[in-house]
Amino acid sequence: MTDQRIDTDALVVGAGIAGLQSALDLADRGYKVLLVEKTASIGGKMIALSKVFPTMDCASCITTPRMSSAAHHDNITTWTYTDVDSIAPDGTAFTAHLTRKARYVDEDLCIGCRLCEYACPVELPHEFEGNMGARRAAYIPFGTAIPQKALIDIDACVYCGKCEKACPTDAIDFGQEPVSVTVHARSVVIATGFETTPLDAKKEYRGGVAANVISALDMERLLSPNGPYGRVLRPSDGKIPDSVAYVQCAGSRDETLGVPYCSRVCCMYAIKQTMLLSGSLPLADITVYYMDIRAFGKGYEQFYQTARSMGINFVKAKVARIEEEPNGDLRLRVEIIEEDGRVTEAVHDLVVLSVGLKPGDDPRRFIGVDLDQYGFVASPEPKLDATLTSMPGVAAAGTAIGPKDIVDSIVEASAAATKIATYLGPPPNSPQVPEDGLAVDVREIKAGDALAVAGRSEVQRG
Amino acid sequence: MAVTVDPTLLPEIQRYGAFDVAACFNCGNCTAVCPLTGDDATFPRRIIRYAQVGMKAELLASKELWTCYYCGECSETCPRQAEPGEFMAAARRFAIASYDRTRLARTMYLQPILGTAIAVALAAVFAMFMYAAHGPQNGQTLALFQFIPSDLIHSLGVAVMVVVGLAGLAGLATMTHRIARSEGVGWGTVLGSRAAMKRSVAALWMALGVESVGQRRYRKDCEAAQEPVAWYRRRWLLHALTMWGFLGLFAATIADYGLELLGIKATGTPVPIWYPVRLLGTVAGAMLIFGTTMLILNRLQKANRSVRKSQSADWTLLALLWLTGVSGFALELALYLPEAPVWGYWVFLFHVAVAMELVLLAPFMKLAHVIYRPVALFFFALRPTSNAV
Repeated sequence: MTDQRIDTDALVVGAGIAGLQSALDLADRGYKVLLVEKTASIGGKMIALSKVFPTMDCASCITTPRMSSAAHHDNITTWTYTDVDSIAPDGTAFTAHLTRKARYVDEDLCIGCRLCEYACPVELPHEFEGNMGARRAAYIPFGTAIPQKALIDIDACVYCGKCEKACPTDAIDFGQEPVSVTVHARSVVIATGFETTPLDAKKEYRGGVAANVISALDMERLLSPNGPYGRVLRPSDGKIPDSVAYVQCAGSRDETLGVPYCSRVCCMYAIKQTMLLSGSLPLADITVYYMDIRAFGKGYEQFYQTARSMGINFVKAKVARIEEEPNGDLRLRVEIIEEDGRVTEAVHDLVVLSVGLKPGDDPRRFIGVDLDQYGFVASPEPKLDATLTSMPGVAAAGTAIGPKDIVDSIVEASAAATKIATYLGPPPNSPQVPEDGLAVDVREIKAGDALAVAGRSEVQRG
Repeated sequence: MAVTVDPTLLPEIQRYGAFDVAACFNCGNCTAVCPLTGDDATFPRRIIRYAQVGMKAELLASKELWTCYYCGECSETCPRQAEPGEFMAAARRFAIASYDRTRLARTMYLQPILGTAIAVALAAVFAMFMYAAHGPQNGQTLALFQFIPSDLIHSLGVAVMVVVGLAGLAGLATMTHRIARSEGVGWGTVLGSRAAMKRSVAALWMALGVESVGQRRYRKDCEAAQEPVAWYRRRWLLHALTMWGFLGLFAATIADYGLELLGIKATGTPVPIWYPVRLLGTVAGAMLIFGTTMLILNRLQKANRSVRKSQSADWTLLALLWLTGVSGFALELALYLPEAPVWGYWVFLFHVAVAMELVLLAPFMKLAHVIYRPVALFFFALRPTSNAV
C-alpha cells in the first residue's frame, strides 16, 4: 500500500447528482475540488432512472452532461471506487484519509474498449440492472459510466487470465493494491445520498422471495430504453404483464421498519412509472394502492391528475399481505376503506414495491457531524440553513440530509456550494477569464451577487 | 340515522389497557391482515374507528369484538404500532364492564388492588362461612362431609349459581339485545318459521359446538398467523385444554352428585381409578392444570405476542383456575392416601371456597367471555358466511 498526499479547497463526498452539482458550482467559482465516489462510476442513483417527474425528461440525457462536466472540469479531480475512511478537523482545515480501492485495471492505460469484458467467462447478476441482467467479473459498471474504465470483481474472478490476454494496452494488473491517500481539504461537502429500504424489509410483501415482486428502482431499469430486457417483462417467466400493481409506502411511514417518515418521492415516481407503463404496456391494467397521494411540488398535482385521467386505477388502501400463486401471479389483500371497509383480494402479474429512502451511508463512520435519529445529517438550523452541519466548514446536500426529489437535491447542492464558498473566502486561484470577458473577478463579488456568479458559470460552461 | 357521539369513549377504553390507538391513521392494514376478516366481519379498524369517533352504542353492539382471538398479527404489522390487537382486548374488557350493571366488573378491571382484595376477601368469607359449621376431622379416613356438611356446600353452591345466573343473564340480555338490534335480528328471524328455527339450531351448533368447544377458527386461522411454537404450547391447545378441563370437572361434579341422588355412590367415597366419574375428573383435572400452568408460563415469559401485555384481570382468572385445579388434585391425592392426612381437610375447604368464588365472579371478570363470545358467534353463524372474496 503506497501513500499519496493531496491538497484541495473542497472535498465532496459522493458523486450523485447532489455531489456533482456542489462540485461543479464550487469548481466554476475557481475552487479546487476533490470529488470522491465509493462506486466505480459517478452519477449516483439518478443515472439509473428512466425518466424524471414531472417534466418526463430522460434521466440519462440530463445527468450525463453533468457527469461529463464534472469529470472534465479543470478544477475537479474525480476519484471513483474510493472509500472515505476518516475526516478530522485539523486547525481550520481537515485531514482526510481515503482508500482508492484496487480495480485491478490501470486506469491510465484502460481505454474502455471492453475486450476484457467480452473475454471474461464469469457471469454475475448485474447490480445496476436490479440483478435482472448479467455482467462479467471484468466489466465496465454500465453503458454510460464515467469513467469508462474497467474493473475486476476479484471475489468472483477465476484467475483464468483471459482478460489479461485480451487487453490491447496491458492495463490488467492483478497485483494492484489499494492506495491510501491523505487529503488536506479546507472544506467538506457530504453528499452521501440514499439507499432504498430493502425489498425484503416487510416480510408480508414477499419481496426478495417472490420473483415478480420488484422494487421501484428495478422498474426504472425495466422502463429504461437500455434496461436489462429492453422492454417491460416480468422477471419470473418473461411474461408481458397484463396487470401491474404499485404498493405505496412499502418502506415508508411504517414504525415496524423504523421508518416513520414519508420518503417524499415515492408517490411521484410511482405516478411517473404508471404513466410510462401505460405507454409501454398499453393494454395493461395499472393499479396504485396508496394511503395518501402526496403531490406537493410545482406541477406535481397536475401530474397526478393527468395519471388519473389516463385511466390509472388509484385505490386508497394499505396492502396488508401479498401471496404468491403457483404461476407467479401475486394475490394482494387490502381493505377497501373508501367504500364499506370490506376486505378484498386482487391478483396481479407484477407488483412494484414503492420502497422508501434511508441514508446511503453513515457519515459518522468517517466524520463527527450530528445526525438525526434516522441517520440523516442534522442541521443546527433545519429551517433557515438546511445544508449546515454541526461542524464549521462542513456542509451537506441532497438526500444525505433527508429524503427529497432531484429538483430539491440540486437546489440544495448549489446552496451548499454557496455556503462553502462563503466559508472559504475568495478562491486562491482566480478563475480563468473567458475570451469574451463576461466573467467577473470572483474576489470582487460582494454578498448577494450570486447571480453574477451564476451568469459567469453558464458562459464558461456553454 | 342519528348517532350519539361520546367523546370520552376512547380515553375510557384506554383505561382498560388500550395502547396508543390514537396513533392509528386508518390505513386498514389491521383489517386486511387479520385471518378472520371476511365479508361478514371487518375489524379491528371498524371498532377502532368507533372508539376514535366516540360511537359507543355501535361499539357495544359489535359482534366483531368477540370474534377476535388476539393472534397479534395486526399489532405486529401495524405501521403506526398502535397495537390494534391490544385495543380489541381492551374494548372487550370495556364491554364486559359495560354489560354488567352492578359496576363490579368495572371495579375489578380498573382498580386492580381493590379488585384483588375483593377476590381474596370473598374467598375468605366463603371459607369462614363454611368453617363456621364445621364438624370433627376424622383421623382414619378423610370424611370430608363430616368436616363440612355436604348440605351446606350444596345450598351455598345453589345460591352462588342463582346469583351468577341472574347476573350472567342480565349481561347476556343486554348484549344480545344490542347486537340483535344492530344486526336487525328479531324473534321472527330466529324462531319465526321452521326454516328460521332450523337455521337457529344450526347457528347454535356452530357457535357452541364447532367454534366454542371445537375452536375451529382459533385453531385453523389464528394459529397460522402466529409465530411458530412447540405443539404443546400452541395457544388454541392450551385454551382448549383449560376449557375442556373446566367443563370436564363441571360434568364430573354434576355426575357425582347425580350418582348420590340415585343412591349409587355417596360423594367423597373412594372408588377405583377406572370408575368413570373419577376417571373423567382426573383426566379433566390434569388438562386444566396443564393448560393453566402453561398459560401462566406463557404470560410470565411473554412467550408470544398476544401475551406481551398482561392485566391483573388476566392473572386473576388464571390464578383462580390454577388454584381450583391444583387444590382439587391435591384433594384427590389426600383422599386416596392410606392414612387420612390432616391437610386434606384444609385443602378441601380451600378448594370449595376458590371454586365457588370462580363461579361467583364469572360474569364480572375475564371469564365472562364464556357467556359473550358464543352469543357473538351465534350472530355470525346466523348470516350466510363466506370468506371467498
